[in-house]
Amino acid sequence: MASTSKDHVAENEEALNEKVATDLEPGACLESILNPTDSFEEFASEISTSLEDRKTSLTIKSSTISEIQNEIGDSSKESSLRETKSSDNLQAKNESMSASASNSNLLEENEEESDEKDDYLQSPELVNKEKHVFILSSAGKPIYSRYGNEDKLAGLCGVIQALVSVVEEPNQDILRSINTKDCKAVFLVKGPLILVTVSKSNESETQLVLQLTYAFNQIVSVLTLTQLNRIFEQRRNYDLRRLLSGAERLIDHLFIFMEKDPAFLLGAVRCLPLPEKARENITQAITSTCNKIRDLVFAIMIAGNQLITLVRMKKYTLHPSDIHLLFNLVRSSESFKTAESWTPICLPKFDATGFLHGHVSYISEDCQACLLLLTVQRDAFFPLSQAKHTIAEKLRRSNCLVAINDALNRNKELPTTNPLKHIGIPEIRHFMYKCKSTAQLFTSDPISLDRLQDYRLRHKEGGDITVKKIEKLSDIDYVRNYRQFCNQIHCISTPAKLIFRSNSHDTVLAWVTNGFELYVTFDPLMEKDHAIRAVDRLLHWIKKEEQRIFIMNAPTF
Amino acid sequence: MIDIKNKINSFFIFNSNFGPKEGEELKRILFFHPNQVTPDAQKMQVGLCEAVVKFMTTFSSQPCEALQTQTKRYIFYQPEKSYWMVLVVRIPYATKSVTTGGETKDVIEPSVMYDLLVSAYKIFRMFIGPFKNIPNEEIYSKCEQFFTPYIMSRNIANNISNIIQGINYLPLEKNSFFKVMCFIDLLEINYPEFKCISFVYNDQLIWNGLATNDMLTLYQYLVQTLLPKQVEKEIQGGAVTAAQRHGRFISPSDGIRTAEDLQKLHKVYLMREDDTETKQYYLVIYRTLSATICFTVDVNTNLNIDNFRALDAFIGPQLSTIASSISEQCTLHALQNAQLANSEHKFIYFNRLNLAYKTSTPVSSLTPSTAIKPEVLSIIAGIHSDRKSLGNYGEVIIKTPDEYWIAGKSSNDREFYVIIQDKNANLKDIADEVKRMCEDQMKGIFFYPM
Repeated sequence: MASTSKDHVAENEEALNEKVATDLEPGACLESILNPTDSFEEFASEISTSLEDRKTSLTIKSSTISEIQNEIGDSSKESSLRETKSSDNLQAKNESMSASASNSNLLEENEEESDEKDDYLQSPELVNKEKHVFILSSAGKPIYSRYGNEDKLAGLCGVIQALVSVVEEPNQDILRSINTKDCKAVFLVKGPLILVTVSKSNESETQLVLQLTYAFNQIVSVLTLTQLNRIFEQRRNYDLRRLLSGAERLIDHLFIFMEKDPAFLLGAVRCLPLPEKARENITQAITSTCNKIRDLVFAIMIAGNQLITLVRMKKYTLHPSDIHLLFNLVRSSESFKTAESWTPICLPKFDATGFLHGHVSYISEDCQACLLLLTVQRDAFFPLSQAKHTIAEKLRRSNCLVAINDALNRNKELPTTNPLKHIGIPEIRHFMYKCKSTAQLFTSDPISLDRLQDYRLRHKEGGDITVKKIEKLSDIDYVRNYRQFCNQIHCISTPAKLIFRSNSHDTVLAWVTNGFELYVTFDPLMEKDHAIRAVDRLLHWIKKEEQRIFIMNAPTF
Repeated sequence: MIDIKNKINSFFIFNSNFGPKEGEELKRILFFHPNQVTPDAQKMQVGLCEAVVKFMTTFSSQPCEALQTQTKRYIFYQPEKSYWMVLVVRIPYATKSVTTGGETKDVIEPSVMYDLLVSAYKIFRMFIGPFKNIPNEEIYSKCEQFFTPYIMSRNIANNISNIIQGINYLPLEKNSFFKVMCFIDLLEINYPEFKCISFVYNDQLIWNGLATNDMLTLYQYLVQTLLPKQVEKEIQGGAVTAAQRHGRFISPSDGIRTAEDLQKLHKVYLMREDDTETKQYYLVIYRTLSATICFTVDVNTNLNIDNFRALDAFIGPQLSTIASSISEQCTLHALQNAQLANSEHKFIYFNRLNLAYKTSTPVSSLTPSTAIKPEVLSIIAGIHSDRKSLGNYGEVIIKTPDEYWIAGKSSNDREFYVIIQDKNANLKDIADEVKRMCEDQMKGIFFYPM
């Protein structure tokens, strides 16, 4: 690798020249399990909407789930049955609480509580937070607050609701954001909900809007869009918290996850690095066991926020953001560890109108991989449970569990455990790579599950802004540093293809081509030609290891 | 000039303490442009801004800076406690600056809008004084008189000189500079109540006697407002110009001939280099050929027309000699520069300490530069306003999808930007080219890293 023959240098020199680089797209493959639509593109469509468009955008289009049900010859009775059932539930809930609901005038409420509100907002529970998140209904009823007690925030929610409607009503305009020097407030009105974040982090407005969209999707994932819309059509003043009990925790975790994991920044999914053979065996075990189960849409195996394999029904792919929600669900639910679970899951990108039914369980006591079997059949628990045991048995026999555990425990002998050491370019401190066509990413220092956990412990009192001297930067710190580069690269008005920035702390190179996005942190004041050469070697290393790092095929049942 | 009507949606100043009770909302509005907006609509706009300001105080100790809606951007500036100036510009939320049919809809940088508010306030304060010192009943008419013409004459567009606000200095060789200095010293000794505060040649500054901040304000007033009008007059005047070779007072605008003219002298609030606080002075401006000098006279001085006549007789011939010698030197300079500037790449240099500003394209307000693409300017504005990320020493190189390379260097308080359009270059080529330009153009100014 140390050879610096003329040819080699020449090739390197051109490495940052688009045309040459398109040949080298580590991780690219023809068919992808993931739908590589960028979340940024989605943002573009989100922001260009006018008020009129917005009202129609959330009306329901055709349902993928019923399409599948029709296709597999299942009775369409099933789905209508399910629909009526869930609405019945809701009806009942509605009636039970309508008596207690107060119809008091919102404005009056604001007046009364405004003093109290001011005090509460200055209380230690709420003051000095890096990022607040408030979710309220369009009638101004609090639904979720990241910190503090949302009951006491009714006043603030009233103010937010008033701001949003003052901008909307006379002028047909939409409130987007408010800035001070150190703080951004970003507003997102989606369907019957208003989502607001007030952040002092270095995340851009676009990144914050995406986070709010995720939070909205998390709610949809619990309720389905159909139900969410119907609730508020029936009762504008409904207190959604009654239906979301338990989901607060999911949203809490989601925000920690989004702040730490570059997967959200890049709109990509991280795969657990595994030897090609092991991954093949795992996929094989799943397909051979499940190919007889007709209504199975997806079989997904994950471990520590990383994807091990995804087997899918032909024609259907998953969007990275749906997978992120599944990661979040699994990570946030301790109960999955103790027993096999049967749970309704709505994947908003796949089909926001209905539930898939999921069999969720960990493979075995000694292996922290979690298997999700998602079906359109409501009562398939037993056949799926049977399938899971068969799969677990096959994996144990083919030594796949050992391979998974090695990867999870970051066995020192694996090249992917400490990639920087393995690549051998001392000037590279950190890198992050996304293959665009498959929406998968790889970083030099993956955040392990326990580190995320640990982060959560450290921040138990919750997201306070602290100034501390950082001795050794972790993955999280590097990723935080990449945020503004990511933002500039994907900036809608003035995008960039390449950014090279060098200062007394570090040198960062951000580079996007048709095939990939790459972010590298070097030592400070790095020479450009050295950086070019290092990046070239880095790409070749990723190419060499691509079978291990990425899922290079798109298996179906 | 720019089509103000289409760009500036509104510009207003409010203070919520002026009409604290319900029903008195209109009293809170000190100024509103355009004035044909109905009072109800004015109240609505101001009410929204008041609410937004209040909302943000719950979360941040910093004053509110911006509000973005789907179609408009509001920029806030609070120059004095409770006094808010707001500029509203029609800018769609985060859209591509698309080129439709050869016409680019350039998006105005928030920083440009903010700077416009700041300079509007500073010029207001220079001539009229801080808001808080103006009696309540006069403030409405004072604002009306000042801001209506001001806002109508303002050019709000992304061009280089708006994105980085600096002062264009004129470098002179030693002897010429000493001539200027001697002239100023001689003048101040002979006429002790006159203090020279600036010496400007064309639109380039040679000598400054004000605190840096006020200098920028006075410089902008001269270069953007007073001198363009003056030059226009001179061009139209044709024959008169020859008679005016020996100079005249240009502020007040009709010159000073009689004792009554002295009453028309502007009073300004300024801080001179050796002052410890802002004081009120008479502002006297004198011009010969392309040289313009500004004096301050303490407001407590008894003005005497004979003094001004004597001053005129003293300055006129001397200044015209100096102006011609500077003019010769400038011609020489221009020739040398023309040889040097054969490169098609553009650059901007800025020093935050003395606000010195130099660019490869002319920045004269009379010939606004449209040579640089708005996207590129916007990237430069981004680098310029984000000082933190380059730190004391740093460098950034950005490549845009349409093959522009933008390089920015920062070294202590100095900044240097280069714009290169080259499809086939790589990072190293660009870095080398930037280094070469830096050495050519900025001889003797040290940039680290090299």
